[in-house]
Amino acid sequence: MSTTPNDFMAEGEPDQGQAVEQVGSSTTPDSWWQVVWSSKKARVGLVILGLYVLMAVFAPLIAPHDPLDGSFTPLLPPSGEHWLGTNTNGRDIASQLIFGSRISLLVGLFGGALATAIALVVGLVSGYTEGTIVDDVLSFVTNVALVIPALPLIITLVAYSDTRGVWLIVGIIALTSWAGAARGKRAQIITLRNRDFVTSAKFSGEGSARIIFSEIMPNMSSLVVAGFVGAATGAVGAEAGLAVLGLGDTRSVSWGTMLYQADAQGAIQQGLLTWIFAPGLALAILITAMSFINFGVDLLSNPHLRED
Amino acid sequence: MARPNEGTPLLEVRNLEVRYEPKASRSLTAVQDVNFTIAPGEFVGLIGESGSGKTTLATALLRLLEKPGRISNGTIMFDGTDITHLDQDELRAIRWRDLSTVFQSSMNSLNPVVRIEPQFRDAIEQHSDLRGEDVSARVRELFDMVFIDHRFITAFPHELSGGMKQRVNLALALALDPKLVLLDEPTTGLDVVVQHSILQNVRKLQEEKGFAVLFISHDIGTVLDLSDRILVMYSGRIVEDQTAAELLREPLHPYTKGLLGSYGDPRAETVRITYIPGRPPDLSLVSEGCSFAPRCPEKIDRCLTEYPELLPIESGEVACHVAALHRLVGADGIELPERNRRFVGPEFVKTADESAHARERDIVLTVDNVTKVFEKRRGLKVDRTVAVADTSFVLRKGAVTALVGQSGSGKSTLARMITGIDSPTEGRIVFHGPDGDQEVASFRGRALRSYRSHVQMVFQDPYSALNPTKRLGQILERPLVNYHGLKGDARRKRVEELLETVALTPADRFINRYAYELSGGQRQRVVIARALAVLPEVIVADEPISSLDVSIRAEILELLNDLVQDHDVGILYITHDLLSARMLADEVIVLNEGRVVEQGPVLQVIRDPQDPYTRTLLDAVPNPF
Repeated sequence: MSTTPNDFMAEGEPDQGQAVEQVGSSTTPDSWWQVVWSSKKARVGLVILGLYVLMAVFAPLIAPHDPLDGSFTPLLPPSGEHWLGTNTNGRDIASQLIFGSRISLLVGLFGGALATAIALVVGLVSGYTEGTIVDDVLSFVTNVALVIPALPLIITLVAYSDTRGVWLIVGIIALTSWAGAARGKRAQIITLRNRDFVTSAKFSGEGSARIIFSEIMPNMSSLVVAGFVGAATGAVGAEAGLAVLGLGDTRSVSWGTMLYQADAQGAIQQGLLTWIFAPGLALAILITAMSFINFGVDLLSNPHLRED
Repeated sequence: MARPNEGTPLLEVRNLEVRYEPKASRSLTAVQDVNFTIAPGEFVGLIGESGSGKTTLATALLRLLEKPGRISNGTIMFDGTDITHLDQDELRAIRWRDLSTVFQSSMNSLNPVVRIEPQFRDAIEQHSDLRGEDVSARVRELFDMVFIDHRFITAFPHELSGGMKQRVNLALALALDPKLVLLDEPTTGLDVVVQHSILQNVRKLQEEKGFAVLFISHDIGTVLDLSDRILVMYSGRIVEDQTAAELLREPLHPYTKGLLGSYGDPRAETVRITYIPGRPPDLSLVSEGCSFAPRCPEKIDRCLTEYPELLPIESGEVACHVAALHRLVGADGIELPERNRRFVGPEFVKTADESAHARERDIVLTVDNVTKVFEKRRGLKVDRTVAVADTSFVLRKGAVTALVGQSGSGKSTLARMITGIDSPTEGRIVFHGPDGDQEVASFRGRALRSYRSHVQMVFQDPYSALNPTKRLGQILERPLVNYHGLKGDARRKRVEELLETVALTPADRFINRYAYELSGGQRQRVVIARALAVLPEVIVADEPISSLDVSIRAEILELLNDLVQDHDVGILYITHDLLSARMLADEVIVLNEGRVVEQGPVLQVIRDPQDPYTRTLLDAVPNPF
C-alpha cells in the first residue's frame, strides 16, 4: 500500500509539466544534417557535390553542344564556341565533360547503394547470428569475396559480358566491393546485439529480421551513411578506371571514356592538355569532395570529434 | 613549499566556478560559487545525485578538466599553494605525492598489459628515492594494508576481481602517503558486500595514516557511515555543509532531508521511505531563485525569486531561505512551513501485516530442484561451474518474491532460466498458465514467443533497455502489435493508457518523446509500462532500481507495488539490497553461491536471520539511523 501524504506535485500539476517541457528543449541533440554541416570540410564537399549534381541534371541546358556530335573541326583550341576546344574526333570537350558527370554520379549513387545494401544484409545477419551455421556460411562467403583479386575479376566479367551498359558496371562494382564493409557491419552489430533493448525487443515478440533492421540498424545509421559515402567514392573511381582500360560503355560519354580516348589518340604527345586534364581534374575534385563529406559524417558516429 | 600551520586548512576552495563552453551547444555552469575547506586528516563526504556537478568539482580540484570545461572563477589552495593556475609541470610534483585519487572508472584505470608491480614502481620511483628491493618491500606493505595476497603483486590486472582491482587502486593512491585522497564513487559497480568491506578498509587506513579524504558518492547512507563532515551538492552548488552527526540529527536543507528520507530501517514494523519528485534543473538555462524550489515541498515565495546564500546556521552552513528564516532572522511576518526534520514530499510506506495474505495466492510458476552447470572447454580440460544448485521456490499471483544475493550468487542465471533464455541442467521450471502446466525448457520458437506474452522482464539499466532511436509510443506499441494484434486508434488508446498507468501524464506529452529526453526514473517507468503492455502473469525485475539515483528509488518501488495490487501480476524481484526487498516483497529467498541459504516471509528473514550470509548482507545495507 502506498500513500502520498500531501498532493504536492501530483500528476498534472503545472510544476511537473514545466519540468518535462524544460527537459525536451534542452537535451535534444543536433539533427544529423546540422552535425555534418558543422564541419568546414564537409561543407566544402557538400557544396562541390551540389554543383556536380546540378551540372549533371541540367547538362542539356548547360552544355553548348551534343557530346557525340563529331561534326566540328578537330583539334580546335579553346574558344567562346568550344570552351575547352575539340578533340581528334571533332567532338566538343566541354560538352563531353558536362554530360560525363551523369555517368560518374549515377554509378557512384547506385554502385555505392547496392554495395552498401549487400554489405548490410550479409554483415548484419551474420553478426546477429554469430556462432551459428548461418554466420559460418555468410562469413565464409564474405572471406572469399575479400580475398578474390577484384580487378582481374572485374575485367574478366566485363570482357565476357554481352552488354556494356552502365547497369552492368554498377552491378559488377557492387558485387566486388561489399565484402570489407560487410566485415565492418558484422563487427558493429556484435557489439550492439547484446544490449538490453535488443533483449527487450525479443520480449516484445519481435522477429529476428525486425530486430536487426528496425531495432539495431537505426543505431548504426551514421556508420551506414559513412559506409555508403565511402562505397560511392570507390564506385566513381572504379567506373573511371574500367573505362580507362577500355571496358566502359563506348556509346555513352563518361570521364573515364574521355580519358580512354584521349590516351588512345595520344593526347599527351600531341599536347592536347585540356582533353586529358579536364576529365581527370573533374574526377579528382568529385572524389575529394566526397571524402570531405565523410569527415562530416564521421562526426555523427564519433561525437568526440565534434569539439574543436 | 611552506608547511601549513596547525589549524590552516589542507584544501581551501574559494568561489570556485567551472563552466563548460562547447562551440556547438549552449554553455553551462556546472559548478557555481563553491566554497569549502578540508582540514588535514579530515574525512569529508560530498553527496548529490547524478548531474549535480560532483565529478566536475573533483576533476577541477585535480586540475584534470578538459576542454570545453574550464575553471572560470575562484581559487583552489592546496597545502599553502594556489594550484588554480599552475601549469602541468608544476602540478606533476604535487600529484600523487600529496594529492592522489581513486577514479570512478577505476576498474579500467590499471594498464592491462603491465603487471601490477611495475605500475606501483613507476609511481613510487617517480616521486621518491626508493629503488630496487625497497620499492618491492613498500608494495608488499601496501598490499598488506588493503588485504590482498602477495601473489597478486606480479599478476596482470585481468587476473584480479573487480573488488581486488579497486583495492589495488586504493593501495596505489596511498603509495606515497599523500595528504589528500580524492575518492570519486570508488565502489560504484561493485558488489554490496565487497563495497562495504572496501569502504571500512578506507576509513580504518585514514584513521591510522591520518590523510584527508574527499569522498564523493550519490549514496548518502555510505557517506554518513564514514565521514566526519558532509557537503551536499545540488545543481552545481553546495547547499549544506555540516558534520555528519549534526546532519543526521537535524538536516536543514530540504534536499538533504529528501536524501536521508530515502533510507529506512528494514527491521522496523512500518518502513517509510520518501522520494524527491521531478528532476534536477537544466544548468544551461538561466534560472531565477533557488534551483531546488521546483522540487521542494517547503518552498515559499522568496525561493522562486532569490537564490539563498550559503549562511552559517548552527554548526554548519546551509543555503535555504526557510531554514534561515526559521533559525536566524525569525519569520518576520512571512508565512513559513512547519519546522520539520523529515522530507514532507511523497513517500512509500510498507507495513508488516500486508504480506500475510499474499502467501496464500495461486501459484503461477514453480521452480523445482533446478540446477544449472556451465561447462567451459579448455583444450582437454572441462571447467564446470555450478551457477545454481538444487533450488526450489514458487511464484504466486499478486505477490512479490525477492531473490537476494551478491553478484555471482546465481540470481541472473535463475532469471534467464525462468524467462526461457537458458534451460536448466537438472530440475524443472513449470509455468501454470492458461493452457495448463507447461515446462519452460520445452519452449522453442513460436511457443517461446507466446510464453513471453505471459512472462515479461524489467531491466536493470533503463538507459540501455530503451532503443535510443525510437519514440516512446513506438516502443510501447510493438508488444501490442505482436501479441494482441491491436491497430490504429485502439492501439494508440492502449499506449496512452499504459503511460497513464505508470504515471507519465498527460500521455500525449510523452508519446512522441525519445528516451534521452527522460530522467532515469521516467525511463524505468517506460520499461515497466512495456513489460505491462501484454498483461503478463509474471514480471521478472532484475535490479530495477540499482542504477537509479537513491532519491528516486522509492518512486519505482511504489509503482511496482501498485502494479502487484492493481494488475495481480507476480513479480520476481532480483536485488542485492535487503531494504528494497523489505519494501516490495512478500517472500524472500537468499542465494549464496548458487544455493538457497534462507527462505521465508520477508520480515521474518530480516528480523531473525538464521544464516550468517544473510547477516552479512544485512550489515551491508547502509543504515544511517
